[in-house]
Amino acid sequence: MSEIEELNWKISAKAGEGVMSSAKLFAKACKRQGLAVFNYYEYPSLIKGGLQSGQVRAALLGATCQRRHLDLLIVFHEKFINDHLSELNENSLVIVNANNFDPSKYPELKSQVVAVNLTKIARDQGANPLAANIAALGLSARVFAMDLQIMGRVVVEEFAKNKEAATKNLLVLKAAFELTDELIKQGKLTGQGNLISTGVDEQLLLTGNEAIGLGALSAGLQFYSAYPMTPATGLLHFLAAEQNNYPIVVKHAEDEIAAINHALGASFAGVRAMTGSSGGGFALMVESLSFAGVAEIPLVVLEAVRQGPATGLPTWTSQGDLNFILGAGHGDFLRVVLTPGSVEEHFVFGKLAVELAEKYQLPVLIMSDKYILESHQTMPKMILTNNNQRFAMLNDGRLGESGLGDGEYLRYKASEDGVSVRSIPGQGNALQLTNSYEHDQYGFATEDAVETKKAVDKRAAKLLALQKELPKPLYFGATNPEQILISFGSTINVLREVLLSPISSQIAVIHLPCVYPFPTQEFEALLADKIAELFVVEGDATGQLAGLIQRETKIKDLRLILRYDGRPFYSEDLLEFLQSGQLNQQYKLL
Amino acid sequence: MNEITLANLLSPVQPTWCPGCGNFSILTALKQALVELNLKMDEVVIVFGIGCSGNTADFIKCYGFHALHGRGLANAVGIKLANHRQKVIMIGGDGDLYGEGLNHMVAACRGNHDITTLVFNNHRYSLTTGQTSPTSAKGTVAKSTPQGLIEDPIGALSIAISNGAGFVARAYAGKLKQMVELIKAGILYEGFSLIDVQQPCPTFNKEQDYAWYQQNVMDLSAEYDPSNQGQALVELLDKDKLSLGVLYRNDQRLAYHQEVDVLKEKSLIEQFPQTVDLSKAIAEFV
Repeated sequence: MSEIEELNWKISAKAGEGVMSSAKLFAKACKRQGLAVFNYYEYPSLIKGGLQSGQVRAALLGATCQRRHLDLLIVFHEKFINDHLSELNENSLVIVNANNFDPSKYPELKSQVVAVNLTKIARDQGANPLAANIAALGLSARVFAMDLQIMGRVVVEEFAKNKEAATKNLLVLKAAFELTDELIKQGKLTGQGNLISTGVDEQLLLTGNEAIGLGALSAGLQFYSAYPMTPATGLLHFLAAEQNNYPIVVKHAEDEIAAINHALGASFAGVRAMTGSSGGGFALMVESLSFAGVAEIPLVVLEAVRQGPATGLPTWTSQGDLNFILGAGHGDFLRVVLTPGSVEEHFVFGKLAVELAEKYQLPVLIMSDKYILESHQTMPKMILTNNNQRFAMLNDGRLGESGLGDGEYLRYKASEDGVSVRSIPGQGNALQLTNSYEHDQYGFATEDAVETKKAVDKRAAKLLALQKELPKPLYFGATNPEQILISFGSTINVLREVLLSPISSQIAVIHLPCVYPFPTQEFEALLADKIAELFVVEGDATGQLAGLIQRETKIKDLRLILRYDGRPFYSEDLLEFLQSGQLNQQYKLL
Repeated sequence: MNEITLANLLSPVQPTWCPGCGNFSILTALKQALVELNLKMDEVVIVFGIGCSGNTADFIKCYGFHALHGRGLANAVGIKLANHRQKVIMIGGDGDLYGEGLNHMVAACRGNHDITTLVFNNHRYSLTTGQTSPTSAKGTVAKSTPQGLIEDPIGALSIAISNGAGFVARAYAGKLKQMVELIKAGILYEGFSLIDVQQPCPTFNKEQDYAWYQQNVMDLSAEYDPSNQGQALVELLDKDKLSLGVLYRNDQRLAYHQEVDVLKEKSLIEQFPQTVDLSKAIAEFV
């Protein structure tokens, strides 16, 4: 059997049948073999039933997104084959969790289909029938000739808290591996090649949510409050669990308004604070975002976009909240909107957001989406130790005597760069009033015209220094491309795979990791000497990013590739479009 | 570190309340209570709501947080969790705390967060020129309810008591000494304390003036046992009866922060992580 450097694997079952853990463990085993991995989930907004899938792409190079065409598909219920027909071809192997399979029912299916009763394998080992999802792993390990030892360790670690379950699952894994080996020997099933193993496993495998959490923790985040809402809930769960290991308080608030206001209170009292939600919950926070703006309270907010409007498609991706995030909050105030792409960038920006918020005393929004926040992606292991310093805080945030005389301190003291040193409760001779009203330098409310203009100008003055610290647009690909694809946020994960194709010599990609304040100069500079057709690839129906670019730069001539059906872009679709001009009908070209 | 004195608490900003407003005496009582508790200036944070009562923010020198309408208690919860060594006091009106922010008040009660909440209850939205509030009597005629208020007044204190608030009292702006004692007891109480202060609004509430209050308020009897939750709820069933004093006090329940593991030895702000080692956090991603 030949060695393979990549695979596309998918498991499809009803909600509650263990698809997510199966896919996560398979992804982890691939990572342990030293490969890059992307693991994408699709699931409906319900707890039992419905179609749920987890799909893993692993490769020696790339694997930054999912791919459509599958090497192995495992369906727990035969009828689900119909949901995946477009993902199968003559090279695909399909495993149906059943005793037998009648191919005549699926005339259009060109793949090899084999019935293997995974549930029976689990039952025969005395395990819970739900361990069919582990049997699927044993089968997969054999189909791709993976290291069973590695897969076994991954399974045992997953069930570390329950020794009995770990033992039984290990038996199931081995039994499925051996049975598949038998089937291959009998010629009833054809393996899909030997998955390469590099022997070097220096990466982490985690979701965008977890990466933001890690980044924020490393930056000394000490307070997170939220109300559960998909797809931001993963961050709440991750940080809540870390309360055992780090000095952080996580508060499940009574609603999103409370969540953001808890965070504002904690931040005022001096701890680094954050909240998060999806569009609907963020809508409830908006008045308070404006408060953070006028009162100069450091705050980080994750806006985890899902397909709206309103309740929309709760578990499906979108970038359609861009304009809302840019404009959220009444009145004029400065904000930062970070739009990380890869999981690694989510880690870096989790940290950056916490630091920028404190340094410039303003709200920093991280806009991401269901696609990358809930997908697992590999990233290089970071430096594990991080030293934190405090920014623009009286006595670096230490409580007690401040060394100041009575009446000397002014919370909103005028300053050239707009940033005033912030005192916190518990510091001597540094009383202040953090005020939602427009205010004077102490913090007392004012309606004076001159004072008001000064205060507005002071806050706006932060822009100059702030801009220098923001992530700049990134350019990948050909120097003199025929086409340039422009994107923000998670879409870069897909565009990177487009760049892996042979046509990459004629295309380039621009990723915007920060859309506000917009990097006008840098963006224009990237396009200055280019004579290429410009396509903005974005996950909304109206071209919100394109509109922003047209508003903030000289660049007006843009074409749009839009997707707004809750599904992510596929590199195959974009490649096809670039090569043939044919665009997947679920997309829209403007 | 500065002691709290009346001189230190004095703000350079003159109150903008109407002559005869109950807010003057409530502010006097609060300042007196803070002085008598022998606290330091930097040991107290006051969160202010929006309304005539919230404007107190400008009339007292302290670590202050002038919040959005209705949201102050949510801020106070965050402040207390970040630095539980601070005495956290919330000042707001009946509209702010019992109307716009009621969900936050219920949550603060349920968590028994150690916050002392003073509700300046004048039964009106006075800063917006006198509309009815959640505590206005049924039938009240005001600019937003010219045909008379249809709703019943809210049973805010019953809500607090039945949802876990550890200390619930009622005061009256015309009885200064009692107010001072109740505020002191509320601040010393480790848990959520709600002090509903009945106050006249001479501009927009002509029905409930000082003379009306003199006839309608009365102290709880000497036999009243504030540890009896059922009795407290019965006492509050008659919404026309404005009994003054500690209606309910639960000394068995811990405050929220006392049940948070990471806050058992130090406050959160005292644990700022100068160095973070991510080894534990990445263990599941390896």
